[in-house]
Amino acid sequence: MRIELDRPRCEGHGLCEEAAPDLMHLDDDGELVIDIAEVDGAALDRARAAVRVCPVAALRLAERA
Amino acid sequence: MGNGIAGLTAADSLRAGGFDGELTMVGAETRPAYSRPALSKALLRSDTDLTSHELPPPDHGATELLGRTAVGLDADRRVLTLDDGTELEYDGLVIASGSRARRLGTGSDELVLRTLDDALALREKLSSRPDVVIVGGGPLGMEAASGALEAGCRVTVVTNEPPLERQLGPYLSSHITAAATARGLTLIITPGARVVDQDGRSRVELADGTIIDGEILLSAVGDIPNTEWLEGSGLADGGPLAVDSRGRLRPEIVAAGDVAAFPLAGANVRSPIWHSAIEQARVAAGALLHGDAAPELQAQPYFWTELFDLNIRVAGRTPLVGEPELVDGALDGPALLRWRHDDGTAAAVSVNYRIPIPRLRKLCD
Repeated sequence: MRIELDRPRCEGHGLCEEAAPDLMHLDDDGELVIDIAEVDGAALDRARAAVRVCPVAALRLAERA
Repeated sequence: MGNGIAGLTAADSLRAGGFDGELTMVGAETRPAYSRPALSKALLRSDTDLTSHELPPPDHGATELLGRTAVGLDADRRVLTLDDGTELEYDGLVIASGSRARRLGTGSDELVLRTLDDALALREKLSSRPDVVIVGGGPLGMEAASGALEAGCRVTVVTNEPPLERQLGPYLSSHITAAATARGLTLIITPGARVVDQDGRSRVELADGTIIDGEILLSAVGDIPNTEWLEGSGLADGGPLAVDSRGRLRPEIVAAGDVAAFPLAGANVRSPIWHSAIEQARVAAGALLHGDAAPELQAQPYFWTELFDLNIRVAGRTPLVGEPELVDGALDGPALLRWRHDDGTAAAVSVNYRIPIPRLRKLCD
């Protein structure tokens, strides 16, 4: 699966980073950076947790194109 | 028990922690779980679409029993009874039954803003630009006031203390009040206001008898934990569920979210906000799986609100007493602020100031 970010919607609360620090981080400007977008296995579980805790629904998981 | 963010996070955390047994989710609403913070923020704005609250579908593989609530618990027999008579046996139980909006009157025209259905109904009503009266000057009442003003309504807030002062302290309260009144909000700060039924309609009556009338009356006066169903179980005495630092009521029963009161500085207190529900649910799931070997709750308070064109984020303990230290920005513009507490810790606040939350947190050390 692939992590997709709806950037205009992201407000930088950072709950996703807490859930999956190996996959994404907030940069110095508070913008979310997806470090690893293609995920499977245990990383997919963390990605799901990250997507779920976003209070503004800015993240989603999509099938790989 | 409970399909909000606490129940959902607990289920996700159980799976992430290696639990591969049978999982059953019971939720009172028939809808899938959604983001509650969005209801009083993005969802009320008429220019946003209707997806801001949507969460991705669950993948915890649980049997979902939606539209059902629990009516009883026999903790010794380990049996949960639902409102349709179903009895569910369990080895471990997560209580995340949440809370409901407190109401001041008895009329069905007194609106509250708690569920997605509440928010959709309010959004629809606001589109005809009614005069709106809101009782309650906390985050929910003021966010709703902001949304209603943006929708073009005339809005009056009746509150017994300055807006958000109890949550954030006087400095930010006056900042928010100034922004609100500059946008046309009528603010009435008075003790003793109540909701009365007059001519078949719910209205707000001030202590001196003055009636504040509007086409819409919205009460935003706090929430009541849903624990009545635990009467007789020996786990609750009518109030919130006082859990230990790992969310436990018993070794096999944990609670998280709005219904739970975790120990904090010698007392058990509720923290009915989104981020706390997630933190608590992770801890509680760990306690079910690993008992005393699981980590205790290390609360990292985080709160945000969006109102009257102010985006305010708070890391650290509140309320914030006294004047802030200006870390960056300007007091009349985007600002990064810090308050020192007596115990040496601090709380950091960003106002319309973009900053990564980990950096905001670091300012609290």
